[in-house]
Amino acid sequence: MRRLTGFVLSLAAFLAAWKVLTIVTGTPSYILPAPEVVGERALRAIGSGILWEHLWATLAEVILGFALGALAAVATGVALGKSVLIERVLSPYIVAAQAVPVLALAPLLDIWFGGGLFARVLVCALIVFFPIAIATMVGIRSADPLLREMLRSLGASPAQLTARLEIPSALPVIFGGLRVGVTLAVIGAVVAEWVSAGTGLGVLINIADQGLFDTPLMFVALAALGIIGLSFYSLVVLVERRLIHSA
Amino acid sequence: MTAAATKEHPTGLRVRVDGVSVSFAAPGGRLTALDGCSLDVPAGSFTVVIGPNGCGKSTLLRVIAGLLKPDRGVVHVGAAAPAPGDPRVGLAFQQPRLLPWLTTAENVALPLALRGVAPAERATRAKEALDRVGIGDAGQLSPRELSGGMAQRAGLARALITDPPVLLLDEPFSALDALTREAFDTELQRLWLQRPRTLILVTHSVPEAVRLADQVAVMTARPGSVARLVDVELPRPREVGIASDARATEAEAAIRASLASVHPPELAPWTGQA
Repeated sequence: MRRLTGFVLSLAAFLAAWKVLTIVTGTPSYILPAPEVVGERALRAIGSGILWEHLWATLAEVILGFALGALAAVATGVALGKSVLIERVLSPYIVAAQAVPVLALAPLLDIWFGGGLFARVLVCALIVFFPIAIATMVGIRSADPLLREMLRSLGASPAQLTARLEIPSALPVIFGGLRVGVTLAVIGAVVAEWVSAGTGLGVLINIADQGLFDTPLMFVALAALGIIGLSFYSLVVLVERRLIHSA
Repeated sequence: MTAAATKEHPTGLRVRVDGVSVSFAAPGGRLTALDGCSLDVPAGSFTVVIGPNGCGKSTLLRVIAGLLKPDRGVVHVGAAAPAPGDPRVGLAFQQPRLLPWLTTAENVALPLALRGVAPAERATRAKEALDRVGIGDAGQLSPRELSGGMAQRAGLARALITDPPVLLLDEPFSALDALTREAFDTELQRLWLQRPRTLILVTHSVPEAVRLADQVAVMTARPGSVARLVDVELPRPREVGIASDARATEAEAAIRASLASVHPPELAPWTGQA
């Protein structure tokens, strides 16, 4: 309850400062629209159905891309953490792929996978992959060697060691990666949408920009992206609290 | 499957260590922990291994548990060499080593879970094991909520739950205060008298060795080996007051003399210790 009150107060302060800024500077609406202008534009975009259409497209990309990327990253991270050989062989490629900006990779994926939802999901998955894979690898290795020896003395197989010790000890670190990853997924979705047009909030920003100068609509799309990121981030934190009692 | 192992060996299994050497890779060469170490532990006896820190006592236990392969020499538990995770051998450590994300009962039942025993049977047997070590009401607590002594009991219960014919205890009470420790010794003896099995306890306390052991194996400094065996012939159950018994005083003097003879005096602070 107190947390909610704090959030409402800070939001009110933010909107008030925004409003004051537009009044003091007298900036025209196509450069910096006042909050109530954006609010009114949001209501119209919701009423006409245009916001939902684009929101759902982005939401689908973020959810599928994050799920795919996180699953692949945890599996890869476990393998990297358990085998020095696998780490030596794979890590140069993983690091190099991460160093290439996803914005530069998206057109290639678009060509390969024909510009559909799958190509966009793949861009999201790719951007999500790195922080989660590295966090998982580090987490797996952080398992207490004393507990490792205890399990070995009880005859635990390598798979049991992973399931019963390594993954549970890695969870706090893995969730650190998931928190970073889920916000990156939103960035991935917008980048992918800019490359292969269709629907999505990234597309909506382009529509608002090109010739229309519908800056209030652009703000609506930006706010929607922020809200998506915040919601998923909170969801990850919620799951984390459920799974890790000490957190 | 392991319960059957003890039924087959109602008084435990003989443990024989013969000319065992173990070394580890260390910065700047290899570190020899055990060198030509031999020890014969009769089935069902209570043997205490004593020596200062770093003399290879823990290494010896790990060799008997099958966790370390000796570079030279042979180890037998019963008729066969021990394998890593050998179900015939139970091991309790200096630290409780409980998994913090499980309850105490789940921790105690971990050896059964790893062998695919059904949850209902696990719960029943965990309760029994916790009862045996005197903390039957702590099963639902998190390991974080246990005191040091309770956590150590839980670690012991975990080693006992499969009822192994050989039980190895690696200084399980060394982190506890002196009074708790004495109570533990008495209970450990009671548990052993109730259910005889081969028990090997590592310690660096001479009075504890005298209170508990049939035979005391005195180890040399690193690289370690068993320098001398001292038999302790005292009636059981032995109480804390047994220390004043003439035969106990004699055994204690013999152990201290052995320790003094194999360790240079400047490295043997225990010789003057009460």
